[in-house]
Order: sequence, then C-alpha cells, then structure tokens
Amino acid sequence: MNIIIIVLISLGLFFFFGTAVGMLRLPDFYTRSHAAGKGDTLSTALILLGCALFIMHEGHYSGASILVFLKLMSIIVFVFIGSPTASHAFIDAGYETGEKQWSNKKQAKKKP
Amino acid sequence: MIWQFDVILLTLVLVCAVISLSIRDLMASAIVFGAYSFLMCLVWTGMGAVDVAFTEAAVGAGVSTVFFVATIYRTTRQSNYKRKDLFIRSFSAVVVSVVALALFAVIADFPYWGDPFSPVNDYVGSYYITHTMAHSNVPNVVTSVLADYRGFDTMFETCVVFVACIGIYAILRRRKKQAKAEDTAVKHVAHDSLIIRVASQIMVPFMQLFALYVVAHGHHSPGGGFQGGVVLGASVILLALAFNVKTTLKYLSEKSMIAYSAIGVLIFAGTGLLCMFLGGNFLDYSVLSQILPYTDEVMARSHAMLIVEIGVALTVMSAMYGIYLSLATDGHFDQGL
Repeated sequence: MNIIIIVLISLGLFFFFGTAVGMLRLPDFYTRSHAAGKGDTLSTALILLGCALFIMHEGHYSGASILVFLKLMSIIVFVFIGSPTASHAFIDAGYETGEKQWSNKKQAKKKP
Repeated sequence: MIWQFDVILLTLVLVCAVISLSIRDLMASAIVFGAYSFLMCLVWTGMGAVDVAFTEAAVGAGVSTVFFVATIYRTTRQSNYKRKDLFIRSFSAVVVSVVALALFAVIADFPYWGDPFSPVNDYVGSYYITHTMAHSNVPNVVTSVLADYRGFDTMFETCVVFVACIGIYAILRRRKKQAKAEDTAVKHVAHDSLIIRVASQIMVPFMQLFALYVVAHGHHSPGGGFQGGVVLGASVILLALAFNVKTTLKYLSEKSMIAYSAIGVLIFAGTGLLCMFLGGNFLDYSVLSQILPYTDEVMARSHAMLIVEIGVALTVMSAMYGIYLSLATDGHFDQGL
C-alpha cells in the first residue's frame, strides 16, 4: 500500500513540476494556461488520492478515516470540474480580447 | 506546525503583499491580493484557528477578489499614482518607519506563542474553554463565544455587514431615468459560454448544500453564520457571473435582497428582545427554554445559537449579493459583467 501511495504522490509532484516548467517556458498565453490547467488538475488529483489512501491506511480503514477519504474524493471531483472550467474561462477571455497566438513562422522569420 | 512550512508561508505572504502594493496594473494587484488572502488562510489553519481560516478563504480569497474585479471593470485598470510627489512620499516613509520601529520595540514584550500564563489565557479564555460544554452543550468553543458569550458583539458585526450593504446600495443605485442621461459606461454584452454555464450549474447545488451544512453544523465543526452566508452569497454570485445578472435577479430580486438582509439582523435582535420579554437579559438565551419545546436551559442556549446563526447567514448572504450587484451592474441592476 505504501508503495502505491509513494508512486501516486511522486507522480503528482512530477506533473506539478511539469506545470511549473510549462508556465515558465512555453511561448504564449494560450500554451501557458493550457499547461497550468492540465498539469494542475491531474497533479492535484494524484496528490489528493495519495493523501486519501494514506489517511485510510493509517486509520486502519475505520469509519472516520473512510469518511475523510470520501471527503477528499469529493474535493477531487470538484477540482476536476472546476479547474478545467476556470482555465477555459480565461483562455476564452484572452481570445475575446485578442491576445496574440504564438506561431512558429514568425520565429523562423526572425531568427535568420 | 512544522516551522519550515511556517517560514515558507510567511515569506510568500510578504512577497505577495509587496507585489500587490507595488504593481501598477490594478487587476493583477487584485489577483495577487487574492493569493495573499489564501496564504493567510493557510497561516490561520496552521495556528489552529480554523474558523478564521474558513472566513478568510471564503471572504478574502473568494468574494472580495470578485468585488475588486467588478470595481476595476467599472472604473479604471491603471492606478493614477504620481511618482513625482516627493514630499508626501518622504513624509509617509518617515511615519511608516517610526511606527514600524515602535512595533518592533513592542515585540519583545509579547508573550510566547501559546503561553498558558499570557493575559489572553489567564481567565477569560480558560473560563470559556472549561465551561462551554456545561453552559450550552456546544463542542465548538469558537461558535459559543461568538454567538452566546459575546453575542452582543456579533449582533453589531451583523449590523456592520448590513449597513455596508445598504450604504453601497444607496450610493451606487441609479434609477432608470438618470441612467439614460448619463450612459457613459461601456455596454458590454456578456460573453456566453456553455461550458462555464454547465459547470457552474453542477457546482452551485453542492455549494449551497455545503453552505447550509456549515450554518447548521457550526456548533459542532468549524463554521457558522458568517462562513455559511458567504459561501451562499458566493454561489449566487457564481451564477450571476456564469449566466447574467438577470437570471439571478429572477430568483433573488432586488427587493428581497434588501428584505433578507434586514430580516437577518431582525432575527438576531429579535431573539435578544424575546429573551428580555421572557424575563432574562438581552441575548440571555437560557430563558428561551420556556417557549422552545423539549429543551432545558442548556439546550435552549444551543438552539438559540442556531437561530442567531441563521439570521447572520441571511444578512451576510444577501449583503454579499447586494454589494456584488451594485458594483457589477454600475447601480442599474439590469446587466453587468
């Protein structure tokens, strides 16, 4: 059980790291918020799942620990609904206000 | 609390505070301020003040950011702060540094954190902690202090929320004739997104159910009228953001908003008055056992706390909604954001 928990949480941390790298390195608003939205959602879910399993395992599957597990699960559900919707909302808002997209062609022209 | 975690949090709080003050773009400043509130919420949680953390998360990070954004949307996004005004800047720098020095000098006299012999823990706090269960059978001491022992303070806090809502409403509300004459605000047709609408439709029932749970269960777990009311108000504001103001006005109209916020204060003060009519002091809930069925004096205090919390929740909910409406619709109460 412990191995599963360690794998889940370190996978979550890995995706969080990917999110941070993506937000810093990707070229424009759209790709950056795409990295933030996706990586954030998945890594939050993985870490919370790991924590939930850990609490349930530590509490010897008693009623109270299962209740905490269910609460954390419902948080995961709401993060899965809320976070992608939020990133959709502000990508949409960026598109409405005419935020420019990055394209490879301009870069290719500028470089030489 | 792990002290490394504490240090990281406090550093982040400081960084957020400095950034939100120094940034010129007000929208970005509001967002950073929301992050600051959320970090403060974590700090409160670390100190064990879960009720305060709950309020901070709901009000500071949630609703007040929405208020800021609505205000910025209706006014201007850039701060008109003049860097040239040297006199005021140097004067305020002197004042701030003197005050800071005084504060730092006082720090040495502070009691240690959690010191059992500090003035706070000397008699009042320990009295509440040891007597709450016997007096009112409420496990959450914070709620019993808030709604029972210090009921007077909470009543006037509710009044403050009510007055804030009424004040903003009275200043910003514009009647239609006036509106046509000075229609300077840019008419922005709200952008409609199916994804956001559906997602908020899924979230809102759960939010409202959770808010009611927080109000009703405030005696036994963190929460209470203020927190539950703010979450309720936030759910309505979320609907207003996802659909438009007209949709929410159908369910919670302007008149009922004002009425609910007044009724909430009335419930609180009315409970106090009822205690007086039954022969007790103002807000002395134990005498309510004469009219509440199947309750002794202890349970009467517990139940009266619930009644009072419901009043607080009503006021806070409609005040949040009213302030949002006044700010977002520029006082027209027809469309906005």
